Amino acid sequence: MMEYNWDFASVFMSHEALVVGLIGTLRIFIICLVAGLSLGLVVGLARYSRRRALRWPAAVFVEFFRNTPVLVQIFWFYFAFPILAPFDISPLMAAALGITLNSAAFSAEIYRGGITSIDPGQWEAARAIGMGYLQIMRRIILPQALRRMLPALTNRGIEILKMTTLASAIAYGELLHQARLIASINYNPIEAYTVVALAFFVILYPIVRATYALERRMAKGD
Amino acid sequence: MYEWDFTPVIANADLLLQGLLGTLAITGTALAFGLPLGLGLALGRLSPNRALAWPAGFVIEFFRTTPPLVQLFWFFFALPILIDIRMTPFLAAAITFSIQSSAFFAEVFRAGIVSIERGQWEAARAIGMQRPQAMRRIILPQAIKRMIPAFTERSIELMKTTTLVATVSYADLLYQANELAQKTFRPIEIFTATALIYFTVIFGLSLIVQAVERRMAVSGDSTVQ
Repeated sequence: MMEYNWDFASVFMSHEALVVGLIGTLRIFIICLVAGLSLGLVVGLARYSRRRALRWPAAVFVEFFRNTPVLVQIFWFYFAFPILAPFDISPLMAAALGITLNSAAFSAEIYRGGITSIDPGQWEAARAIGMGYLQIMRRIILPQALRRMLPALTNRGIEILKMTTLASAIAYGELLHQARLIASINYNPIEAYTVVALAFFVILYPIVRATYALERRMAKGD
Repeated sequence: MYEWDFTPVIANADLLLQGLLGTLAITGTALAFGLPLGLGLALGRLSPNRALAWPAGFVIEFFRTTPPLVQLFWFFFALPILIDIRMTPFLAAAITFSIQSSAFFAEVFRAGIVSIERGQWEAARAIGMQRPQAMRRIILPQAIKRMIPAFTERSIELMKTTTLVATVSYADLLYQANELAQKTFRPIEIFTATALIYFTVIFGLSLIVQAVERRMAVSGDSTVQ
């Protein structure tokens, strides 16, 4: 082990750059969380549909995006898509598209599992009192299913936050990319990357603990 | 209308194949180190000795809750400053993905081990076995069978995660694709073909996993939620 003088002050001197990165991380995280989980619900419902014209495309979508690496999707949207699309693609758009579609595919499976876990008697009862499909879904099935899916959806959210770092590969100014800048200016990669790693750990660990507790409570309740 | 032309992909198929081999090499290396390390971590975490359980738990939680790309950058750019080694992209990737996957494998091992009924422990103790012996001869052989689907699922995740090595210039499939796209000015065809290669390999593996899962489900042994 070589003698090394840790110098975290050099990282926090660049706190402006870190704040820019944190805002960048939060921006892409919120976009992907909202868009990914909503699109996932639509795809999950389509996969559960009785109509084949809905079920099949949804299945292809889910399998394709679950079985290709997110970084490949991000690169595709950043380097290949702009040639096909009639508009410019920013790093934020490319990264958000890749992460959103990937999260939609994974969460669609969670929604599908949650919805099919609800007892068929609930459907029959709702239909018996005259409710239509959408009404049953919205007022009877989803409220019950969402509770059961909460731990799995939280895990998805955690994965999304971790995935946002991939945006740095196409030079979007999120936390990791900013740390890389700081490290290259101040020659302090150890401190810069350690700070980023700890930041993610400090944010995510309490959430992970909360999902463990949630899972235990639900295992007892249901 | 864009005119698709896949000839640059076919002309450079050997480079993409090399990349795929690079991807498989790093996945294989991470598996070879990650599995035993994961078993060690799981046994540590389950140990009644707190001096073992705590550090093991910390390593598992830390590597599960920090982004793998941050870990990779740390091992690639920061570690060589702390200890005197010549860091290569392959070495950094091997260290990162071995430890990262071991944290996830540890949880699979743990779930498998705790899923074995307590009666098995009691029976082993009754015939005079110590804890390590019972673990090795009674618990693990039963637990590992139940864990196979979860392992394969994790290994597929691992293969997808290895694409991150492209960012530190290790010549995996994604890196080769990026190089080719810049050289041939055909990013659409190259990246589309690359996505399809990944899809074919990974989807093929998941089909195998599903078949295994079905067989396991028939015999009633599985820890996949």
